[in-house]
Amino acid sequence: MNWESFADPLTRGALQLDWLAAALEPVSEYGRREFALLVPFSPGQIEPLRANLKIVDRFAKELDPSRVDAIRDALRAAPDAIGAIARGAMGETFTDAALLEVQRFCDVVGRVRGLLEGVRAWSSEAPGEIEEVARALERGRSGKFGFYLADGFDETLSAARAAAGAAQAEYDVARRTLAERVCGRLGREDIGSDEFILMREDLRGDLPSDVHLIREAPTYYLCELKLDGRSLEALARRDAAAESVAQAEEAVRARLSDVVRRNSAGLNRECGSLGRIDLLIAKVRFAQQHDCVMPEIVAEASIAFEDGRFLPLADELARSGREYFTISLDLHDVAVLTGPNMGGKSAALRACGFIAACTAFGIPVPARSARVGLFARVGWLGIGGDEEPGGLLSSFAKEVIRLREVLARGTSQVLVLVDEFARTTTPHEGKALLVALIERLRAAKGCAFIATHLPGVAGAAGTRHFGVRGLRKVPQSRVTADVPAALAELAAQMDYTIAEISEDQEPQTDAIALAQLLGLDDELIAAARMALTWTR
Amino acid sequence: MKLAARLLDLAHSHGMRSIVVVGTGKNVGKTVVVRALCESAWAADPTLGLTSIGRDGEAFDVSDALAKPRLFLRQGTLIATARAAVPATPACEIVDLSNLHTAIGDLLYARVRTGAYYEIAGPPTAWGIRAVIERLFDLGCSRVIVDGAVDRIAALAGGKDGVIVATGAAAGATPQEAVENITALVRRLGVPIVDSARPMLRIDGALTAEAAAAFSEARERRQIVVRDPTQITFSAKAFLRAAERLDLRCERPLTVIAATVASIGRERYFEPDEFARRVAQATALPTFDLYTGKATAA
Repeated sequence: MNWESFADPLTRGALQLDWLAAALEPVSEYGRREFALLVPFSPGQIEPLRANLKIVDRFAKELDPSRVDAIRDALRAAPDAIGAIARGAMGETFTDAALLEVQRFCDVVGRVRGLLEGVRAWSSEAPGEIEEVARALERGRSGKFGFYLADGFDETLSAARAAAGAAQAEYDVARRTLAERVCGRLGREDIGSDEFILMREDLRGDLPSDVHLIREAPTYYLCELKLDGRSLEALARRDAAAESVAQAEEAVRARLSDVVRRNSAGLNRECGSLGRIDLLIAKVRFAQQHDCVMPEIVAEASIAFEDGRFLPLADELARSGREYFTISLDLHDVAVLTGPNMGGKSAALRACGFIAACTAFGIPVPARSARVGLFARVGWLGIGGDEEPGGLLSSFAKEVIRLREVLARGTSQVLVLVDEFARTTTPHEGKALLVALIERLRAAKGCAFIATHLPGVAGAAGTRHFGVRGLRKVPQSRVTADVPAALAELAAQMDYTIAEISEDQEPQTDAIALAQLLGLDDELIAAARMALTWTR
Repeated sequence: MKLAARLLDLAHSHGMRSIVVVGTGKNVGKTVVVRALCESAWAADPTLGLTSIGRDGEAFDVSDALAKPRLFLRQGTLIATARAAVPATPACEIVDLSNLHTAIGDLLYARVRTGAYYEIAGPPTAWGIRAVIERLFDLGCSRVIVDGAVDRIAALAGGKDGVIVATGAAAGATPQEAVENITALVRRLGVPIVDSARPMLRIDGALTAEAAAAFSEARERRQIVVRDPTQITFSAKAFLRAAERLDLRCERPLTVIAATVASIGRERYFEPDEFARRVAQATALPTFDLYTGKATAA
């Protein structure tokens, strides 16, 4: 997936888009090639995106998950035959291993076709070519996985092999007879290698005439067998027969290579088709596994969804046995989001970015329903992006530099997600900067969601204000050691619903209640509540 | 019984499914041993598997361009070798393709359909060779022979693989040196399994000569435990000295079952019977000389 134009590394980190890429990873080399070339639809490509999503939708509806898995299993077994096909197209004679690759490729195409039978949205790229190549190679099928240049390909080959087998047997007999004769004369069991040692003390009489002396030492002779006339004649016949086999085998390979070469254009098209199917099936599987929907694509830079999920977090929670609470939202301008700590503000921002990213790449989105515009880019500003090195800069300075970068790239058709910008500077200046940022984004008719704890930002900027509802009631128990239990209790009491509230409505904060729940001592909590009444 | 058959029988008596032949150096008759084992194993049961750690069976040594003994394999033998090493003719049955790599390209599994000379180039890594051996058994081999390398047999430790150590006149300037080298190697590969009831000091990774010297200096009495014998990474003489002073142990032992000798080298020759006798005595292993056709008891 090519994220470069759509999300910079910080944004990718914050939205965990690598998780998305991993979840969509195709299983074949063909699919991986397509995947590597995948780029987002740009804002002008609404119709192609709609068409793309429609295909995914039709496949997702027509294929049940077990069939999807079966297609992926078939694709996983596909060898990468592109190199072999390309070399064949250039006139190279195939090796047997390359012929096996092509045969397996044809098998995978056949299996995938079978599994896609009845799916109206699909048609094969090169049915005739694949069938011709598969037919030509069929005689070579050997066992479950293999290929052999079998005798059945050609009568000449069959005859040459029979003759070579006979010649080899004749030579083996002649050499064995010779070796046995020599062993008998030397009184030894066998001759274990081409060269052998004969100890002088073991030799009775002269060296046999069938033995060639290589080296003479004080205590032994280094020798080798001297082939007799019968063995030499058998050897010559064996070599001649082997040459005939070589010629016959090469002729069959050339013929098979020619069939592949003639059909190489069709095979290449089918390689591309397999890649596209692999990618499509990956999207379908993603949609089915994560209960996604096809978003309605709109021309405006906006994003609205019901029961949307930020899947990486939902996945993490599911793995630890915890529940993810969905959110619903309608964002078509610049809006402010406030709410308590642990209330899901960051997750809401991330869900927006994640759904926008899915849409841009033609992937069904994790929501019950969604209406999404095509964004050229998503820009993340604030907590959660992977921190870049920059030890001399304060947190605030890093944020300012980051904001400068986001603004420099332009804000038209961009979804800007701001998570607690200016949280580390003085509240009144931080608020002023946020208000100014909102005005800039609104002037550019941008779409942005700005989460903050700073009070009065929405009112000062005159923009819509969303709030997380927050704790239904303050949990009574205090958990000092078991943080996961505290989080579970907190989640049970938290209403994660995001609702539009009036501009000046004070957000529910719940920070002191949260601190109490997480085990701060009673004295400190009481003092904090007292201080809160004074500051008000 | 023929000599190679006796070697196979020895492995069988130890309960070994596969046999790995390693050498104390180059040109010590390793390929001759592998070839003889293949011939013998094939005669007993043609469902034989063969692979190599690295490259073997080529006509000429790639490092010095001198002629090497070649591997003549019989019909039915299953080989794991590089695609590039499969001869165009006679055609083999390509049984399966693999994602593993060798020094000269991707690996595949092929069945010999016609007896001929073959070059074997297997995976260069210990875990790769383990995977290949398992796959050869999966594909129906009853026995697997590996043309091995001492430093890459770690993955075979703790398994049912018997090791044969080959030495020869090329392994030392004198018979004494060659005997010392194989003795050190056999003792290193044969480091016994750790005694869990006694105090021990576990070493993560390799035990170097420097570390062994430090333990020796400190008069360490605990068992010095490495994962497997190939983690002991120092020279023959240093190992013999360390083994005298330290209680070296491993978690996953190797089983060395025999030694072979090749008393003829490119540069020198040793007196065959005397050399075999000294190797057998020093290593306490049955020692086979395929050139003389003789076996010497331990």
